[in-house]
Amino acid sequence: MKFAGSAIAILKKDILLELRGKESLSLMLFLSLLLLVIFNFALDTGKENVSSLASGILWVVFTFSGILGMGRTSMAERDEDAYLSILFSPASAESFYIGKVLSNLLFLVIMEIFTLLFFAILYDFEKIISMLPQLLPGLLLGTLGFSLVGTLFSFLTTASRYGEVLLPFLYLPVVVPIILGGVSSMDIILNGKAGGAGKWIQIMAVFDVLYFAVSLLLFRYIIEE
Amino acid sequence: MKKNKTISILFFLLLVMMPLDFYLIFKVAPTERIMGDVQRIFYLHVSLASGAFLAFTCTFISSIIFLWKKNLVWDSAASASAETGLLFATLVLITGSLWARPIWNVWWTWDPRLLTVLILWFIYVGYFLFRGGIADRFKKAQYSAVIGIIGYIDIPVIRYATKWWKSIHPLLTREGGGLNPVMKNVMFFSLATFLVLTVFLFFFRFRLARIEERLQKLKKLTED
Repeated sequence: MKFAGSAIAILKKDILLELRGKESLSLMLFLSLLLLVIFNFALDTGKENVSSLASGILWVVFTFSGILGMGRTSMAERDEDAYLSILFSPASAESFYIGKVLSNLLFLVIMEIFTLLFFAILYDFEKIISMLPQLLPGLLLGTLGFSLVGTLFSFLTTASRYGEVLLPFLYLPVVVPIILGGVSSMDIILNGKAGGAGKWIQIMAVFDVLYFAVSLLLFRYIIEE
Repeated sequence: MKKNKTISILFFLLLVMMPLDFYLIFKVAPTERIMGDVQRIFYLHVSLASGAFLAFTCTFISSIIFLWKKNLVWDSAASASAETGLLFATLVLITGSLWARPIWNVWWTWDPRLLTVLILWFIYVGYFLFRGGIADRFKKAQYSAVIGIIGYIDIPVIRYATKWWKSIHPLLTREGGGLNPVMKNVMFFSLATFLVLTVFLFFFRFRLARIEERLQKLKKLTED
């Protein structure tokens, strides 16, 4: 229980930090909004196209806003070596990782809800909200995958001289299966395509389990001095 | 550092094998009936791909041993093999593209195999971008070992995902494996040649890394 306790303490700490500083979440939300506006110019998003473009646009927005947010929260830990004080506490590296995964997951989910709402409003596509229950498994597994990989890699990249700028270069190639799964499952469900979203949900689940196990094993090597 | 025997032996082996391999590919192997001479790229392409795979596997294993033993030798091995692998993967993409233009009529197509190699390539480019940004020698080794492990583990998942992704779309026709016996033997020889080349480049690069390391140490000593 001590393990879960320290993970939750770290989650609480991040929520508190965010409530006080409003540093990462607000940036993520603004980027989402901006990207949605830009896609409106870049693509022909007329009434008849929206449905087929929706999954692609949404997952690109999720991906990039997510990178921004996760880079920020890790940078906050590296600044003045704040995370070292956590390492000196009895909390284990694993519970630290899980706490960070949870807080990143929370921020990502908030950003995604916001993005979905604004997508429905800006693109006049309310269907995305009414179909949310069916879309939920894909969204959650995908977001969890983002958070599992993003937490690990954002911590890695902030150690580099280039800082969080490097994050997309490591993160994007690795999360390709998640992006593929997320886009495809959402597209299948929204447009009633054949093929079934089930196998995409499966591949995202496999990815999540694999990354959870591997990251849990490797995270201590990233933070230990 | 004394002269390395393994490197010399491999070098002389390659001096014989490489020209012989090209002779076999261009003079001995029969011209393919439908594709013509372009098909000869295939001997290089497949051999390069196998070399890349061998090298990345070596990176993966060396990375694990590094995290376990914390000996910088293993990091030098990991980065030397990743460099070899990246070079080969680049050549795999180029030779594949050269072959695809006349045969598939495109330079590039979103086939699962192609996509997997491209993503693999991105991962190891990221690996070196990352290494370039860390000054501390031990941290560099430790963190890049994590990338070396994760990048490698990700490959099968990417492979499956891209395969499924494409299975919804029309599949590309893939030529069957009915190779003529001469072609098969040339293929095997080419494979052997390029595996020797992989090992040679690896040892060469590894030795260089060790020398660089010693130089750094000596520099530090004179500074102190």
